[in-house]
Amino acid sequence: MTATATAGHIPPGHRMRRPCFRAPSIIPGFGLTFGLSLTWLCLIVLIPLSAVFIKTAGMGWDHFSSVALSERAIAAYRLSFGASLGAAFINAVFGLMIAWILVRYDFVGKRVVNALVDLPFALPTAVAGIAFTSLYADNGWIGQYLEPLGIKVAFTQFGVVITLVFIGLPFVVRSVEPVLADIGKDVEEASASLGATRAQTFRRVILPAILPALLTGFALAFARGVGEYGSVIFIAGNMPYETEIAPLLIITQLEQYDYAGATAIATVMLIASFSLLLLINLLQAWSRRRTVD
Amino acid sequence: MALRLSRQGDRALSIKLDTISKNFGGFTALGNINLEIEPGEFLALLGPSGSGKTTLLRIIAGLEFPDTGRVYYDGDDITDLKVADRGVGFVFQHYALFRHMTVADNVAFGLTVRKRRDRPAKSVIQARVQELLDLVQLGHLGKRYPAQLSGGQRQRVALARALAVEPRLLLLDEPFGALDARVRKDLRRWLRELHDSVGLTSIFVTHDQDEALELADRVVVMDHGVIEQIDTPQKIYDEPASAFVFDFVGESNQVAVTIAGGEARLFDRTLPLPAGTTLPGDGPARLFFRPHDAEIVADDKAGLAATVTLTRPNSGSIRVEGKLDGLDRLVEIDVPVEGAPQVGERIIVRPTRVKLYAGRAEA
Repeated sequence: MTATATAGHIPPGHRMRRPCFRAPSIIPGFGLTFGLSLTWLCLIVLIPLSAVFIKTAGMGWDHFSSVALSERAIAAYRLSFGASLGAAFINAVFGLMIAWILVRYDFVGKRVVNALVDLPFALPTAVAGIAFTSLYADNGWIGQYLEPLGIKVAFTQFGVVITLVFIGLPFVVRSVEPVLADIGKDVEEASASLGATRAQTFRRVILPAILPALLTGFALAFARGVGEYGSVIFIAGNMPYETEIAPLLIITQLEQYDYAGATAIATVMLIASFSLLLLINLLQAWSRRRTVD
Repeated sequence: MALRLSRQGDRALSIKLDTISKNFGGFTALGNINLEIEPGEFLALLGPSGSGKTTLLRIIAGLEFPDTGRVYYDGDDITDLKVADRGVGFVFQHYALFRHMTVADNVAFGLTVRKRRDRPAKSVIQARVQELLDLVQLGHLGKRYPAQLSGGQRQRVALARALAVEPRLLLLDEPFGALDARVRKDLRRWLRELHDSVGLTSIFVTHDQDEALELADRVVVMDHGVIEQIDTPQKIYDEPASAFVFDFVGESNQVAVTIAGGEARLFDRTLPLPAGTTLPGDGPARLFFRPHDAEIVADDKAGLAATVTLTRPNSGSIRVEGKLDGLDRLVEIDVPVEGAPQVGERIIVRPTRVKLYAGRAEA
């Protein structure tokens, strides 16, 4: 009220506070840190990614479709995205289980299990790939027992999935763990005291509470899987149309000095990944909205 | 299935605990607890932390299982029955609401998890939830989420949720522990009214003696895993069964004395005691009296000599704090406003009502 009354009497040179794109905060240094962050993001993420698009835009449609939309490329996308989604699903289930035992139980060797979970982060991916290949090859430690059962892992799509499960495991465990720890034991006891079975408690009380975190872990594991190269090329066998992943196809183009072709495939992967991640984020926002906190 | 919130007295449960004991590692949480609880009773389990009161409540609920002993509901041995099958209402100290569900869904939970053939129709559930929310005076907040409520409101939602399954027994673990004093007082009175109108058996755990004495029909005072006394609030206050109970419940003064030849002696001199005081056997003993059970006298042979260190008003009288001569102990008494002593003055305190317990004070 008083503001409108005095609005006409603002002395010249004293401008009204202009609308600002940030909320007022008493923590200083927003300008500096925001500027640096933006520069950093541009240098590291935005410029390299836009270069991919610019390079791709320079090639004609015919060239683009002959490389990026060829039958061989599409088979590679299908494998890359399919195997990554499958691995992320498997990780969501077993990662949740590992997070569960780490949070809910005390047992001998808990620290060791805890450390094992992070191992895929630390191990050079090539080492992991070679280890998996030698284990699951027809004459490997595990492969020799699977062979008589008619299960082939090394040099098949199945092998790709297994490697990606290994690579993506920590993401789900580490995303879910803190949220699971945050759900009090008393909430589960409350559910039980109201007559719910263990299954009902899990489905109706625990799962909804950890769903956003589980989706985060899923998305991270998936994204990591799509981009994974080092470990997969060893176990995949890299047969065109069969076990050739999209990142390998990019390398193949590069080796033939077809840089535009390489960026074309990269562009398709980028768009597909981005759409999928966006979808997962929307799903997450939806499930989070139901848990206002 | 109509909801019978008004009077379920005939449904209230009786409980019997038979030599319950429980150990955690090497720690004895409960040692040989025997307790019988009448149907419709409002019982308080009172004790300091670590006294085993919460463990006992959890054993009655079925959230914990005793190492030895049996639990009976209405004479049936249900010791091995899981909490989900016992049909009790349990209210947790920190509410334990399901935060991704609305208030109404929280309250409905116990009904919606029932097997299909026992589950009431949606409309029936809805009506019952509304009735319960009205009962806890939150009828307009059904669509909110727990995070949008205050502490007192959350506790009432937790209560409505527990009552939704029509329990015959309501168990409350420090139900007001996390609330501020004002809300606590309101909720206390309200819970007592609720208990009387619904007419079930209620047991609550508390470390707050005022809460126990104000609310409960009977109070069970516990310490170190054993029951010290089971009595009405009045008896607990007036006739504490042990030094611990006297010390823990209400304000008290304590003096270490020696009993010899039917007299209480302090510093080689006989301490006159009020008529009718029962003495323990010869040996060290602890003498207790309440601040309002003492007076200031002139005769220095008639009581305990002390120097006044502080005086302050205390609801209608004056609270006098003094240091006892030759003892490293304070004494607190309530005296009439007229003739109250000044700080620094020497006074003789004569207890008018005392209790003596054999043994030495713990350090």
